[in-house]
Amino acid sequence: MDTKTLIKDAKARFSHNSAKAYLKEKYNSKLIIAEQGGLWRADAQTIAILASFAALSNMNPHTTVLIDTFDNPVQVEVTSLLESLTTLYNSVMTEWYAEWKELENKR
Amino acid sequence: MERTRKQEISRGVLVFAFNSSKYNYVEMAEYCARRASRFLGLPTTIITDEESAETITYDFDNVVIVEPDKNNIREHQVWINKGRYQAYELSPYEETLVLDVDYVINSDTLLKTFDFSDSFCCHNRTEMLMYPNAPQEYLSSYSYNSLWATVIMFKKSTRAKQIFEALEMVQNNYDHYANIHSFVGGIFRNDYALTLALKIVNGHSDVRSDYIPWNLVHVGKNTSVYADASDTFDCKGEEFNTEFTVMFDNWKNSKVRKEYVTIKDFDFHIMNKDLFAGIMNG
Repeated sequence: MDTKTLIKDAKARFSHNSAKAYLKEKYNSKLIIAEQGGLWRADAQTIAILASFAALSNMNPHTTVLIDTFDNPVQVEVTSLLESLTTLYNSVMTEWYAEWKELENKR
Repeated sequence: MERTRKQEISRGVLVFAFNSSKYNYVEMAEYCARRASRFLGLPTTIITDEESAETITYDFDNVVIVEPDKNNIREHQVWINKGRYQAYELSPYEETLVLDVDYVINSDTLLKTFDFSDSFCCHNRTEMLMYPNAPQEYLSSYSYNSLWATVIMFKKSTRAKQIFEALEMVQNNYDHYANIHSFVGGIFRNDYALTLALKIVNGHSDVRSDYIPWNLVHVGKNTSVYADASDTFDCKGEEFNTEFTVMFDNWKNSKVRKEYVTIKDFDFHIMNKDLFAGIMNG
């Protein structure tokens, strides 16, 4: 029996809450990246602080110290880490959004 | 006895599989190995016994035969799950991913674990599919929360060796630790033994880099998983299904309401072996 028939016969309802939880679980793991000797989550907070440092043109050399997800202070090169995290964030969030839209249409 | 074809392999998957009267663990290991090869690009070594090895049909990278410790009984049947500590000695790889055979790989996510630690990491938190905020498991009400031996990444190093030696020590004195930590010691559990071993090596503190920074996703009770298509292996190549329908019996006021969700490209662990057999067979 294919799964569509199974769902129909069981009169099962699509659970949007579970779909949301599953997507969060799935894409959270994809947002993690090891770079420059630390482990980072490409989230809005980390990107925002990197972007604000990158905007400070008087920073020379362009490095700073951030606390990574293991709570270790890591000296990082701001621009390259910002670029890596932004690229990862955009690709993962685009995928997340696309799958969310697909699941949102299910009934 | 060991049959090795490739030398100088630096990274790979290690699975333990001993057939029981009820379940064909070797078949599960083959399913796991095919997926490890497809999604992680890693070879797989199987640790098994002489009898189970005769049922192997997959072309494993290595087949390592060991004498199984049958001194563990669950539901009136022999459950061979002891000896996980041998992973360190028996792994032919410098960097090893030890997986339970019932872990369904659908993505390359596990490759990231090699970047997280120089020695060892495993899961310390779980999530149940369709049962959000399920409580974490504890060894007992006044002991540690359980770590999980379902996925272990280790690199050959002094520290990883110490962890596996501690695991052996805990296994050999399991009832003693069960007594100290007030959990039921009758059935040996790798998860509990690993929890205690890692705590001992870390001086009963937490080292955050020992923990994989996302949850281990289980398919728990009242939940079924169905593969949306079968895996196919023929002369045209291999096709792997990565889409599954998860159905959950939501009990409210003595009535059950079926709920479902579809998932894709998402790794998960199935505790129920009958469910796993259903997925393997499409």
